[in-house]
Amino acid sequence: MLSIYFGNYKKAYYGPAWFNNSYDSEWFENQLVQKMIKDIDKSDYKGGELIVSEVLGPIAPKDLSGGLKTLISIYKNPQMIFDATSCGNNCAKWLLEIGEKEDVLIKLEYLMEFEGLEPFEIKIDNTGEIVTTEKAYVVAALKALHEGVDNEG
Amino acid sequence: MKGKHHVLLETNKVKYEFDIKRNITIIQGDSATGKTTLASLVSDNSRYGEAAGIRLQSDVPCVTYNGGDFWKQEFEAYQDTIIIIDEGNSFIFTKEFAKTIQNTSNYYVLITRKPLYYLPYSVSEIYGIRTSGKYHYPEKIYHEFYPLYFQEVDPDEKKGCKILVVEDKRAGYQFYTHSLDGINCISAEGNSNIIKKVMEYANASNEITVIADGAAFGAYVGELVSYRKQSDFAIYLPESFEWMVLKAGVVNFDNIEDVLSKPEEYIESKEYFSWERYFTSTLRNCTASDLIKSYSKDALKPYYFSGKNKEKILSVIPEKIREQL
Repeated sequence: MLSIYFGNYKKAYYGPAWFNNSYDSEWFENQLVQKMIKDIDKSDYKGGELIVSEVLGPIAPKDLSGGLKTLISIYKNPQMIFDATSCGNNCAKWLLEIGEKEDVLIKLEYLMEFEGLEPFEIKIDNTGEIVTTEKAYVVAALKALHEGVDNEG
Repeated sequence: MKGKHHVLLETNKVKYEFDIKRNITIIQGDSATGKTTLASLVSDNSRYGEAAGIRLQSDVPCVTYNGGDFWKQEFEAYQDTIIIIDEGNSFIFTKEFAKTIQNTSNYYVLITRKPLYYLPYSVSEIYGIRTSGKYHYPEKIYHEFYPLYFQEVDPDEKKGCKILVVEDKRAGYQFYTHSLDGINCISAEGNSNIIKKVMEYANASNEITVIADGAAFGAYVGELVSYRKQSDFAIYLPESFEWMVLKAGVVNFDNIEDVLSKPEEYIESKEYFSWERYFTSTLRNCTASDLIKSYSKDALKPYYFSGKNKEKILSVIPEKIREQL
């Protein structure tokens, strides 16, 4: 299940930088990773470390978007906690899909929208509440973001 | 720095074109739209110039902050410069950053989805980046900014207003309390509490309208708009109440139409951290010598909520929002 901690979770990893220093070429062989590359970055994995972007042409893994790097890092390392604030709303469906395959905990410091993605199950880690509707998610997320929030850092 | 500055950034593969016109601009939105590429290209241009195969056109210097421990000294050293700061620089969320940039003449472009609670940025200066045209590699891709939020979010259906939530009990609250019959005007006691207040009252009524100063509401607009999708209500975010009064034409001020149509040409960013402060200062100054009109945020004179003046100020509110009130 996808669990989200809203607010400042200091131990969370910063996906775009962590990925650059830690990715494994084998990760790109995975079908879900390739689907995410196609959907988020409009790119195709060609083998080895070659990816072809519709926008930029041939690119290396380090040239993938910050949001995609974070998604792949979360999926391939479910035991780690990543800051998914680097992920835009277009990553929401993939976070849910990763959560269906693995138990993952991510940190968010903004209200990501899961619009049109019901039915889903998301655990709000701050309170332990499990939400299954968009409205319940937004209410729970806003409460978590605004209660005891440390705005610095 | 004053004015609107056009920036064109181009390589063989991509082209960015955008205008920056306030001291704080925010870029957010979906992943993979080219935000980090923009910061990276500007950085390469600063370091290598045209030798990097990048063409940058701007009437003021445009640079990217490249990390390090001396951000404060760096920002203080720049003058009249557009500075792009990519996500991952956590100092931008600190009070120290807000205090530092307040005293500089630079325009800052901040790439972040996390709200910046210590900065008074405008709802009108939060942008996404989109690709236009039908280009695909190897053709050049054109990127442009587009606003993510607007001053006005109409209700999905007309249903009236029983509760009007405003920021505080100062001039705007006093105006609406005296001017709108049958509406319970609620002070949120600060713009940071508006979302909590709306959530509190939304359980009892969906006939809610929110009016807040858009010039400094940037940190809160995303959450309010997201919540509005779940609980239909109206939102109006003019620059400020003082901007409404100036726009209504109930006080005499030379050149007011030009000032309001191009505030960036008149507002020195080093002097006014947000446009809201400029409009307050302008309204105060242009009424200072008139006992009946003299403007104070804390005690609004009856002149403003009497007869035709009241109607003129209310008429500034867009029609679909006004219909609710």
